[in-house]
Amino acid sequence: MSLRQIRVPGRLDQIEVLCVAVDDCAREAGFDDRTRYACQLAVGEACENIVKHGYGPMRRGEILLVARASPGEIQLELRDSAPPFNPSSLPPDQPWTEDNPPVGGLGLQIMHRVMDEVSYRRRLGQNRLQMRKRLVRKPRRT
Amino acid sequence: MELNAHEYKRATILGVVGRVDSATWSELDSALQGIIDQGQKHIILDLAGVEFLSSSGLRVLVTTMKELRKVGGEMVLAAASDRASDSINIAGLDVLFRSFPSREEAIASF
Repeated sequence: MSLRQIRVPGRLDQIEVLCVAVDDCAREAGFDDRTRYACQLAVGEACENIVKHGYGPMRRGEILLVARASPGEIQLELRDSAPPFNPSSLPPDQPWTEDNPPVGGLGLQIMHRVMDEVSYRRRLGQNRLQMRKRLVRKPRRT
Repeated sequence: MELNAHEYKRATILGVVGRVDSATWSELDSALQGIIDQGQKHIILDLAGVEFLSSSGLRVLVTTMKELRKVGGEMVLAAASDRASDSINIAGLDVLFRSFPSREEAIASF
């Protein structure tokens, strides 16, 4: 298992740095391009929530990414010191029509749709969001 | 992110290259709003060069589509990269936009 820890200022222009690190981690786990992109999307959405809704315009803080890769699996943890916010509950699917498409809540939906597990805990004054993705293996032909 | 607009009789094409995310969405929003302010009701968004499309970018697409529909217009997608298509599909927004493999086919649709 490999471990990466990257700390960045909690700013929107820093999210790409963490996405690149997640891509590297997912590559090491053996994920294909599409799955690696899905993992980047999830982390990007989570970080956007931290910066925009956690820290907001009045607070400053950092985001720490702890990424673990093993063959066929990655575990990601995002830590921030913003006020408590639990994004691990799957937001309810809002019914919508083509005449009234959704403009809010897309980020959380994306995060939950692409990751296998999303969990949250508050520890030592930090939000800790954990996400896990496993490679789907094709069944062997007998 | 790079944006390149080309005006045609039937529609305006806006090509997008790079990341469309929480740090860049406002540039795309301004460009699309500028096209609408010029009176254009038909927009073709060329997503061939999009490397990353987050919910912030998707919101721009949805709000632009809503605005155009109010005036009888439409925005369609052209040549979307795999990554742009994945974002749109994962968010369940693929049913909202007509999508074409090329700019030419998108222009012909108007």
